[in-house]
Amino acid sequence: MELLLMTITTGIMVGGIYALVALGWVLIYKCSGVLNLAMGEMTLIGAYVSLSFYSMGIPFVLALLISLVIGFVLGILTERIFLDKLIGEPVLTVIMVTVGLSFFFKGTVEFIWGTDTQVFTPAVFSIEPIRIGSLVIGRVYLWSFIAAIILLFIFMAFFKYTRWGLAMQATADDEMAALSIGISARFVYAAAWAIAFMAAGVGGTLLGNINGLNISVGYLGLLVLPAVVLGGLNSVPGAIVGGIIIGILQNLCGAYLDQYFPGGVKEIAPFAFMAIFLLFKPYGLWGWERIERV
Amino acid sequence: MSTSFLPCGTYHENYGQDHAWWQTRFVRGKMILLFLILFGLIPWLADSYWLSVCNQIGYTVLGALGVQLLIGFCGQVTLGHAAFLAVGAYTSTLLILELPWPAFLLDWGLAYPISILAAAVIAGLWSVLFGLPSAKVKGFYLILTTMAAQFITVDFIITQYISQIGGRGQAFSLPPGTIKVGPWVIDDDLKVYMMMLVLVIISVMGVVNLLRSRVGRAWVAIRDNDISAEVMGIHVIKYKLYAFFVAGFIGGLAGAFWISNLAAISPEHFPWFWSLWLVGVILIGGVGSIHGAIFGSVFMVVVMELLQFAVMPLADTYPKLLMDFLFIKEAVFGLAICAFMIFEPNGLSYRWWQMKNYFNLWPFSY
Repeated sequence: MELLLMTITTGIMVGGIYALVALGWVLIYKCSGVLNLAMGEMTLIGAYVSLSFYSMGIPFVLALLISLVIGFVLGILTERIFLDKLIGEPVLTVIMVTVGLSFFFKGTVEFIWGTDTQVFTPAVFSIEPIRIGSLVIGRVYLWSFIAAIILLFIFMAFFKYTRWGLAMQATADDEMAALSIGISARFVYAAAWAIAFMAAGVGGTLLGNINGLNISVGYLGLLVLPAVVLGGLNSVPGAIVGGIIIGILQNLCGAYLDQYFPGGVKEIAPFAFMAIFLLFKPYGLWGWERIERV
Repeated sequence: MSTSFLPCGTYHENYGQDHAWWQTRFVRGKMILLFLILFGLIPWLADSYWLSVCNQIGYTVLGALGVQLLIGFCGQVTLGHAAFLAVGAYTSTLLILELPWPAFLLDWGLAYPISILAAAVIAGLWSVLFGLPSAKVKGFYLILTTMAAQFITVDFIITQYISQIGGRGQAFSLPPGTIKVGPWVIDDDLKVYMMMLVLVIISVMGVVNLLRSRVGRAWVAIRDNDISAEVMGIHVIKYKLYAFFVAGFIGGLAGAFWISNLAAISPEHFPWFWSLWLVGVILIGGVGSIHGAIFGSVFMVVVMELLQFAVMPLADTYPKLLMDFLFIKEAVFGLAICAFMIFEPNGLSYRWWQMKNYFNLWPFSY
C-alpha cells in the first residue's frame, strides 16, 4: 500500500514536468497545426543551456531564467527559419522538417556538450527527502512539481489575461476569423514556438536535476507524445491531465511490472499503452473528432 | 509523375504497351548499359572501400523501398521501419545459429537463403501486426503507433529477451563460414555486393510489378483518398495490410541480407535513428517514386562519405571534429532533410523526371 501511494505521488510529480512539456507541444499544434517531433531535443537544449550557466556559478533560478530567454530566441529563430516557409504544405512534409530539426538539434547538442552524463554540481536540491506522515518524497521531485505547476499557472494566466495570449487563443480557435480581425498569424506562430521552447527548456532542466543530464533526457521529452495523444491533440487541459497520467502509469509499471518483465518496461510502457489506447479512442479524452468528407 | 513523355512519333496502341517495362529501344539500351555497369564496371573498378559504400547504398535502398511503398504509394506514414529490419536480421541469425540444419542443406549452402526467406515472411507478419491499428487510425496517430512498434520491438523485445537466447546477453556473433549461399561463402565485399545487387533487383522488380497490378492501383487509390477508395469498392483495410506485409517483407529481406556484412549483430544496429533515416532518404529522393528510393539512398550515403573526406583534413587541427563525426553527420542529415523539404519538396526524382522529359521532347518541346 505504501509502495503504491509513493509510486503514485512520484508519478504525479514527474507527470507535472511532462505536463509542462506537453503544454508546449499542444500549443504549437493548436496555433500552427505543426505536429512537432523535435520536442525531446528542445528539452535537451534548454536543459544543457541552464546546466552550463549553472556550472559557471550563476544561481540556479537565474540560470533557469537565462535559459528561458535563450529558449525564447531560439524558438522564434526556429519558426522564422524553418517552419515559416512551410505553411500550407502537406502534413508529412512539416512532420519531417521537425524530424530534421530534431536531428540537427541533437547532433549540435552532442557536438557541443558530449554524450557523458552531467550533473548539476553543486546539487540544486538536497538529497534529504521530505517526510509527510509515512510518505517519503524526494526533494527534487517536490520542487520540480512545484516549479512545473507555477509555470503552468503562469502560462494559463498568460492565455487568459494578456493581449498576446488572447490573440493566440483566437488563432487556435479559428485562424480565418483571427486573421480577419487583424491578428498576425506569423506573430502567433512565432510566439507559440517561443513558448514551447521555453516550456521544454524548463522541463528538461527539471528532469536533468532528477537523474543527471544526458541524451536520454531527450527521450523523456518524447514521452509527451503519449501524453498528448491521451489527452487529445488539441486540448490544453488534456495535455496536462495526460502528462500526469503518463507519469503515474510509467512509475506504476516501473514498480510493479519490472519484476515480471525485467529491463526497460518503464520506458516502453507509455508507448505500448498509447498504441492500445489509440485503437479504442483515437481522438484522446478531449480531442476534437475530425469528420472527413470526400 | 511516374510516366514520362515519350519521344515524338512513338505511340501506344494498347494497354500492354502502355505498361511495358522498357518502352523504347533507347530505354532498353540504357537499361542494358546500367546492368553492365552494375555487374561489370563497378566490381572491376571499385576497391574494397567503395564496394562497401555500394553495399551500404544497397542496404539503404532495400530498407527505403519498403518505406517508399508504405509512405509513397499507400500513404501510411511509418517511423518504425528499422524494427522490421531488426526482426529480419534477428530471425535469420537465430535460424542459422540455433536451428539444427540437416547436413545436406548446409553442404548445398541453402541454410542462409532459406533463413532469408523465413526472415522476410516473419518480418512481414510482424509488420502486419503493427499495421493493424491502420484500420482504425491514420495520419499522425498512425505515425505514433509505428513509433511504438520501433520501441516495443527493438528496445524492449529484442534488447531484453531475444538477446538473452543462448545466454549471450548482448550481441550475436556470426562465425565465419556460416553465411553461405550455394557454393559461395559470403566473406568479402565483392560477394556481398553481388548478393546485394541480386536482392535489390529482385525486390525493385517485385515492387514495380506489384504497383502496376490491381494491388498497386488499390494502394495508390488509398493514398490519394481512402474514403473514396472505399466507395469505389476497394477493401481498404485488406490492402493496407498487404502494403504493410510487403513493406515488412522487403524490410526483413534487407535485415537478413545485412547480417552478411556484419560480424555480429546487436540492437544498436537498428536504432530509431535508422527508421527516421529511411524516411529522410525517400523524402530527399522523392515520395511516390521507385527512383526516389534509389536516388535518395545513393545521395545520402555518398554525401555522408564525402562529408567524412571533407572532415579528414581538418582533423589534424581540430581533433574533436573526427571524434564527434557521428554527431556532425546527424546534424547535417537533419539540415539536409529540412533544406530538401523547404527548397525541393518533390525530391531528386522530380529533377530526373524533368531531365528525362527535356531530352525526350528535344528539340521540339510541344
